[in-house]
Amino acid sequence: MESHNNATSLCAITRWFTVSESVVTVSELTRRFGATTALASVSWSMPRGAVYGLVGANGAGKTTLIKHILGLLRAESGSVRVFGLDPVADPVAVLSRIGYLSEENDLPGWMRVDELIRYTSAFYPKWDDAYADELRRAFALDPAAKVKELSRGQKARAGLLIALAHRPELLVLDEPSSGLDPIVRRDILGAVIRTIADEGRTVLFSSHLLDEVEEVADHVTMIASGRIVLSAPLADLKESHRAGGCVPSLNEIFVARVGAAASPAPDP
Amino acid sequence: MRSPALAIGWEFRRRHRWGLIAVAGYLFVVATIRFLILEPGEPVLVDSIRFAAVVSVPLTTTFVYLLAVFSFGFAGDLAARHSMYPARMFTLPVTNAALVGWPMLYGTAAMAILWLAARLFAVWPSGIEIPLIWPALLAAALLAWTQALTWMPYGLPGIRLIVAVLCLAALDTVVLLAIHFKAREPMMLAILAPQVPLAYLVARFAVARARRGDVPDWRGLSARSGEIADLLPRPRDHFSSPGRAQVWFEWRRHGRSLPALVGLVLLFELALLWLANDATAFVFEILFLALITPPFMAAFTGWTVSKPNPNVSDSYGVPPFIATRPLTSAELIVAKLKMAIWSTLAAWLLVFVTTPLALAWSGTWSVLMERAQRLNDAIGTTRAVAFVLLILVGFIVSTWKQLVQSLHIGLTGREWLIKGSVLLTLTFLILLGPIVEWIIDSPGVQRALWNALPLILAGLVGLKMSAAAWIATRLDRHRLLGDRALVVGAACWCAAVLALYGVLVWFFSTPFVARYLLALIAILAVPLARLLAAPLALAWNRHR
Repeated sequence: MESHNNATSLCAITRWFTVSESVVTVSELTRRFGATTALASVSWSMPRGAVYGLVGANGAGKTTLIKHILGLLRAESGSVRVFGLDPVADPVAVLSRIGYLSEENDLPGWMRVDELIRYTSAFYPKWDDAYADELRRAFALDPAAKVKELSRGQKARAGLLIALAHRPELLVLDEPSSGLDPIVRRDILGAVIRTIADEGRTVLFSSHLLDEVEEVADHVTMIASGRIVLSAPLADLKESHRAGGCVPSLNEIFVARVGAAASPAPDP
Repeated sequence: MRSPALAIGWEFRRRHRWGLIAVAGYLFVVATIRFLILEPGEPVLVDSIRFAAVVSVPLTTTFVYLLAVFSFGFAGDLAARHSMYPARMFTLPVTNAALVGWPMLYGTAAMAILWLAARLFAVWPSGIEIPLIWPALLAAALLAWTQALTWMPYGLPGIRLIVAVLCLAALDTVVLLAIHFKAREPMMLAILAPQVPLAYLVARFAVARARRGDVPDWRGLSARSGEIADLLPRPRDHFSSPGRAQVWFEWRRHGRSLPALVGLVLLFELALLWLANDATAFVFEILFLALITPPFMAAFTGWTVSKPNPNVSDSYGVPPFIATRPLTSAELIVAKLKMAIWSTLAAWLLVFVTTPLALAWSGTWSVLMERAQRLNDAIGTTRAVAFVLLILVGFIVSTWKQLVQSLHIGLTGREWLIKGSVLLTLTFLILLGPIVEWIIDSPGVQRALWNALPLILAGLVGLKMSAAAWIATRLDRHRLLGDRALVVGAACWCAAVLALYGVLVWFFSTPFVARYLLALIAILAVPLARLLAAPLALAWNRHR
């Protein structure tokens, strides 16, 4: 019994250490597109080993925030640090540790699947060929098929494969499952779960499909009109919104907290 | 606004209101000069510089502008395979006839009005008879054909440009021949009147095809070679470095376009050798055409190389797939530069293999040899060989330069900068003719220019080196290039300048050309500032 208690406390200490180290730190980040404020003085951090669900209405600022994390947007004011580095000043060091599945899924249509894998593998020293092959088989991707000939779901799977096969420290999925069928969405959620299984890895999962986020996220950040409305562990969130002994769903919490405040501002 | 015709017209008016206001303003100014300032009946010589500056240049610019407006050229991609007609309009509940007819009607009417207004306000009594109707019809026909040819989907990237240039040049040639043979107005009308309806039919066919997504894909030709390649063992091994992977990516995306286009055009050019019948001048004209083809084609394919996202016609940003590659912006540029080298070499390999074969088979080899022998006799073997090599190397380097020289503009991803530079280039090209003519006609100006040449060259060198220093500072500050890379790059550039200077000194060993002039020319000839600016432009676009 005592040894079990010791093991539990050891796990708690390990978890505290890993969680306390931030993978992403955003401080006072503001971004405007013309007269529209896409992000308004956002401060936020993402500890290692967590699965973060970034939720918000369309145009709330989710993609803008993700683009800052990837260094695709330069911080106008405030700062963004990923693994302690500036993603704009040091793109190679940051991007080589991130797996990214874009909402646009703009894989080059002229490439064959095997060419896509071969090309992408060149950029990541930690690329795992066996894992890539395993994912390709699991996703039923024909290596000789051209990307442009793949269905939307298959393209999402191909994008997911190249985002996962180098076992990234941070997996960023920007609206990965919008418009996809339930089977592909299951694959994506499976990938998130698999990544969590790799100790110390972090997932940032942006979506407006809140039931999906609820399924995998252990921490939720709600964003509306470029501001972080709330950011808390999912369990705490549910507990704090419990009403009359009934645990609310994330959907209900979102409507209650964001509701009419979510006036959309266009993502770039 | 309850009719599609009004809606389509409104879009043209709303989107291009400032340009159209500028055109109206120009016509107002010349009308004021015509009616209020000039004496009635005061003659103005047609070939005078004043006429060129006040009438020819602005009218040509307006003509080109209206071509771009009414063929949706500002939003489309000339080099792409798909139609330049905006795809968003294909889902409107209107017929193909309306989609084609209204823009064509507005465009041809605008062209006709432009000519008639210019004829009335800007073309002053000049002592020669200026026709009233057929130039308006010619402008309308050129616009209608531009619309038809730009809205047509094509099987290969870049074909649109070639087809459009050839067809419009053919129409121009017919009209010039008719003028040469002093055809009367009815004859000109007979030639030009069917052009607009014909172009309308072609445009309707083009839009109907584009609307049902029927874009021919002649890339199958390369796919065939791909099928052959499939029989060979496919490379399974990893790229040795990320840089090599990126060069492969650029080659597959852009590198093959130039050799393919050069091969296509060379076929037609070299076929003319069989018509030459040992006519020396004609053989050399064809050879010149063959040599000028790679740099000429590179100027067009360079547009697509400098586009961050060639698959999307009106997107200027770097696609996330490329922007998130763990490579620095400088490494991404180096991959483009290396691809351009391979593309240039492949295009020139085609020229070097096919041209001697065509000369030999057509029996015109002897013409070339005879002239080579004369050159050899005139300046000696070493100089003759050096002369020919210098010309060939010049053409090869110029091809590469054409491919990469607009990277610093295209990669910025700023629409205003890209379109502004196109406008400036067009304006420069339009002004170049009258300026050169003015210089040729003015011995005083020639003398002044010759005397000021060292100063002009020194000024240009000063500008170039200042720009390069400023860009190098920015590259260093933004950590886009390391100190070592900057020093190695500077050393390579100095070596290239010294080598070129050495060749120039050896070749032009005459007391009439000062050596410092050759040094200035060498400095100006070796690219520096624009290449250095490319990583800065990409970083500006990649990290917005």
